[in-house]
Amino acid sequence: MPTRKYLLIQRSAPASSPTSGKEEPPSPAEMQEMYAVFNAWKEKFKDSIVDMGGRLKPGGKVATASGVTDGPFIEAKEIIGGYMVVAVESYDLALQIAREGPGIVRPGSSIEIREIASA
Amino acid sequence: MTTPGLVEHFFRHDYGRLVAVLTRRVGVRHLEVVEDAVQSALMAALTAWTENPLPDDPSAWLYRAAYNRLIQDLRRESGRLRILERAATDLSHPVSPVSAEAIHEDMLRMLFVCCDDTIPWESQLVLALKTLCGFSTAEIALRLFTSEANVHKRLGRARERLRRASPNVDTPPEKLAARLPSVHAVLYLLFTEGYLSAHDEHAIRRELCDEAVRLATLLANHPVGAVPETFALLALMHLHVARLGSRVDAAGGLLLLEEQDRSLWDRERIRLGAEWLARSARGNVFSRFHAEAGIAAEHCFAPSFPETRWNEIADLYAMLERIAPSPLHSLNRAVAIAEWRGPEAGLLVVEGLAPPTWVLGTYLWDAVLGDLHRRAGHSEIAQRHRERALESAPTDAVRDLLRRRLAAPD
Repeated sequence: MPTRKYLLIQRSAPASSPTSGKEEPPSPAEMQEMYAVFNAWKEKFKDSIVDMGGRLKPGGKVATASGVTDGPFIEAKEIIGGYMVVAVESYDLALQIAREGPGIVRPGSSIEIREIASA
Repeated sequence: MTTPGLVEHFFRHDYGRLVAVLTRRVGVRHLEVVEDAVQSALMAALTAWTENPLPDDPSAWLYRAAYNRLIQDLRRESGRLRILERAATDLSHPVSPVSAEAIHEDMLRMLFVCCDDTIPWESQLVLALKTLCGFSTAEIALRLFTSEANVHKRLGRARERLRRASPNVDTPPEKLAARLPSVHAVLYLLFTEGYLSAHDEHAIRRELCDEAVRLATLLANHPVGAVPETFALLALMHLHVARLGSRVDAAGGLLLLEEQDRSLWDRERIRLGAEWLARSARGNVFSRFHAEAGIAAEHCFAPSFPETRWNEIADLYAMLERIAPSPLHSLNRAVAIAEWRGPEAGLLVVEGLAPPTWVLGTYLWDAVLGDLHRRAGHSEIAQRHRERALESAPTDAVRDLLRRRLAAPD
C-alpha cells in the first residue's frame, strides 16, 4: 500500500487554565523514565516519522485580509502546542503513532490527525 | 528501560551532583532555591533532548542550565532580600566545567551537611535521600514505609535547621571528622532500610542498598572518611548485597539461609567486601561495623550451611553485643550457638536474657524460640511460639517462611 502523509497537530489547554492545576512536577527518576519511553517510541516509528516537527512557542501573529494582529490565542480553549508529519499507510497507523507517543495523550491535551492531500 | 547515551539513574544522580556542587557555591541557606533550579534544569533538559539530539556532554549541559537558573532566581530574591552579598562575587565567575574531584568533594560536603548534629536523625536520612539521591518525597515515602506528609514534615525540620545554620559548607576537615559517626549512622540506616525492608518489591529494596554503597564508597575514598569504620561499613554492605539475589525464590517467596542457592551469590561483590574488610582491619579500631561485616563474611565464605563456622559467628555476635547492646544481637547469638552446640545450648542463652517488651512482641522472638523448642523436642511450647510468630509476622512473605521453618517435625 502506498504511504500517505499525515499531519499530527497537538493541542493542550493553556497553562493558566484551572484544569492544569498545581500538580507535583515529575521526579528525576520519572523524568528519566519519560525520556526512555520517548526514545523507545521514536526508535519504533523512526521510519514513519517524516518530520519530527516541534513545539510551538506561545503567542504569535495572525494575518488576515484586513491586516495583522497578535494571536488571539489567550482566549482559545485549546492552543496548538506542536506538530509532526508522519508517512504511513492508513489513518489507523497514524493514530497508533499518536496514541503511543509519550506525553501526547495526557489530560488536557489531544492530537488531531489530518491527511495531507496530495496531487 | 535504558536510554542510549545516558547511564542508569542519570537524572537522579545528576540531581544529587548538581545540588551538591551548586549548594557549595551559594551556601546551605539557599538549598531550596538550588533544588528548585536543578529541578527546572532537568525539566528543561527533558524538553530540549526530545526535540534535539542528546548533547555530547549531558552533565555539562545540565550544569549550565541549572547554574543560569540559579543565578536568575537568586538575583530576583536578592532584589528583595539583599542576601547575596557573599554569593554575588562567587556567582559572577564564569561557568567553568566542574572536575570529577570537585564534584566528589562537594557531594561529600553535602553528605556532612545532611548529617549535621542539629538535625534530628530521621530528618537527616530523608534529607540525604532527597538532596543526594534525587528521590522525590513520594518516592522517599514509598521506600521508608511512611506517609508523604511525614516525609514533608521531616524535610521541613531539616530545612529549617539549615536556614538558620551559618554558611558552614566550608567547615574545616577536623570538624568534619567529628561528625563522622553521624554520617556512618545515616549510611547504615539507609542500607538497612533497603536490606531489612519488608517491602515486597525487590528492586525498591535493592535501590536503597545501592545508594548506601554509592555514598559509602564516596566517603571511603575521601581523606576525611578513609578510616577503618568506613571500610568495615562498606565491607558489610557489599557482603550483604552479594547475597540479596538469592533471598527470594522464583515466585518471589523469601528463602531461609539454608535453602538459598549459594552459587547465586555475587562473587565479585564478595571479593569487594573482602577487600574492604581487609582494609578495615588495619589500625586498632573494632567497631560494630567490623563485627557485622565479620559475621556477613563468615556466611559468605562458608561452603555450605552445615559447614558454617558457627563458633566464630557466636563470638562475633558476643562482641557486637558488647559494642552495641541489643536484645536482637543476643537473640542472633543464641541462634548461632544453637547451630554450633545444639538447640538446648541456644535456649540456655535465650533464658539468660531479660528482653524488653518490644522484643517480646516481635515475630523474631517467637520465631527463634519456636524453632529452638521444636528442635529440642518441646513440641507444645514450640507450637505456642509458632502461633504467636505467625500472628505478628509483618508480611505474607515472612509468614510463609515461618510456616515452613516452624512446621511440626515430620
